[in-house]
Amino acid sequence: MIWKLMKKELKEFLKTGKIYVLLFSLLFFGISSPIIAKFTPEIIESLVKNQEMQGLIIQLPPPTWKDAFMQFFKNLNQIVFLIIVLLFIGSISEEKNKNTASIFIALGIDRKKWILSKFLFQIIITYTFLLISFIACTYYTYFLFSKFPIQNSLSAMLLYFIYIFFILSLIIFSSSLGNNFIQSAGIFLGIFIIFNLLSIFPNMDPYNPMSLSSLQNEWILKSVIWKDALKNITFTLIYSFILLISGIISFERQEL
Amino acid sequence: MNIIETFNLCKYYKNKKALDNLNLEVPDGIIFGYLGPNGAGKTTTIRLLLNLAKPTNGYAIIMGENILKSKNYLRKIGFLPDVPNFYNYFTAKEYLKILAEILGVDKKRVDEVLELVDLKNEKKRIGTFSRGMKQRLGIAQTLLHNPKLLILDEPTSALDPQGRKEILDLIKSLKGSKTIFFSTHILSDVEKICDKVAIIKDGKLLLNENVEELKKRYAKRLITIEVDNKDILLEKLKDKPWVINITTHNKSLLLNINNISMAQKEIPKIISENNLSLIHFEFLEPTIEDIFFEVIS
Repeated sequence: MIWKLMKKELKEFLKTGKIYVLLFSLLFFGISSPIIAKFTPEIIESLVKNQEMQGLIIQLPPPTWKDAFMQFFKNLNQIVFLIIVLLFIGSISEEKNKNTASIFIALGIDRKKWILSKFLFQIIITYTFLLISFIACTYYTYFLFSKFPIQNSLSAMLLYFIYIFFILSLIIFSSSLGNNFIQSAGIFLGIFIIFNLLSIFPNMDPYNPMSLSSLQNEWILKSVIWKDALKNITFTLIYSFILLISGIISFERQEL
Repeated sequence: MNIIETFNLCKYYKNKKALDNLNLEVPDGIIFGYLGPNGAGKTTTIRLLLNLAKPTNGYAIIMGENILKSKNYLRKIGFLPDVPNFYNYFTAKEYLKILAEILGVDKKRVDEVLELVDLKNEKKRIGTFSRGMKQRLGIAQTLLHNPKLLILDEPTSALDPQGRKEILDLIKSLKGSKTIFFSTHILSDVEKICDKVAIIKDGKLLLNENVEELKKRYAKRLITIEVDNKDILLEKLKDKPWVINITTHNKSLLLNINNISMAQKEIPKIISENNLSLIHFEFLEPTIEDIFFEVIS
């Protein structure tokens, strides 16, 4: 049943064109990040020349593969993050709002399976496109810089996968609680801000999913130390499962 | 055998009783009209029966299953909500194909039900459909998995007369093959197609009876008679003990009586003895509308 419901999600995603938004934005950032990293110094140099500021001396270190991946993860954590939230936040709440959910539930579709199918679809589609984007970034990084350490970039990407698992769980929770797009977005934003505010307390970092992104940068710039991330990963996964289960329980108790 | 039976079904929203100890019986194979003014509790009843809301108290047995203990019965029900909404970006066929796959129904059935509601050749997206077309698609969707019971929540409420007629004809055509639970506040619709009705007001069941029996029980014993000389007839009838009162309407008399058999024997006799020509004779039946207003008042 979950598989059939996931196929329904896929058909919806195709029909609304959302699939292309996610695929092309991820592909764009996968390709553009190494290119931007490579040519930023040259662009700045040419700008200085054009602006007749020849007297100004700008010294930029030569770009490396690290800049390419730093740029890639920066884009993932900002623009791609926003795209994912906007695409998925109404997945449950808008079906409640438009009464399309009640038709399925009245046909005896298990509420748990209905939510899980949405979550699994979102995970699979996001992970698949992230992987494609990562491969594109890796290819262009290697092409432009002739070097990239697989361990650093892949480990950082794995951390991002775990972070996205948390974000998608939070999306399911918010969408299950809210009765429309705006309400769900508000719930999501509220919880997201609380986790971000926790970053003020450095001793909370091992328990805060938001610090996974600073670890990504560290792993790109320095070296991969899984031990440092273990607590963070464990707690992120615990939060994710709590959010997911709470979202399911909340939806099971709701009147449609 | 009853296909739906509710036992003291209650639903409270904070302090408001949306449904108050509902004991309803819907026999198998009939078209059942669930009547009530807006806000009476019709949609609440349907939502409880379909697991879209939980009862505060009581329970229901649908097709032999307790709705609090099992959800299997839902697969044998087709449901049309009062405002049917679909995924607007799909065509009717695409939407029903998705539903057929989820429900494990042969995809050939999609064409069959679309043909039944006259949407087989419709290529437009659902978002561009008129209200009537959406209603017809809703009915196609309820029939897709060939359910035993159809629950239709106000299927004609927002339609124009033509659309209403189409939907009523469609429902009528299903009579015998399905049990149809049909909620409405349009009394003439019930009169046209229902075998049994229940009237609900403020969450309370006021009546649950067969339409024919109901009409007999609420019959006002009205007779309209037209003869060539109504004054003679009026004179002969006015002192009869079985006549409550007589009013004149143009060329005819309207008699309110308390004994049908006496009226049936004596009226032809009076007409014959006075050499009157009978033009029209009719026992008037109360309409569902008459009964509805009498019950809810």
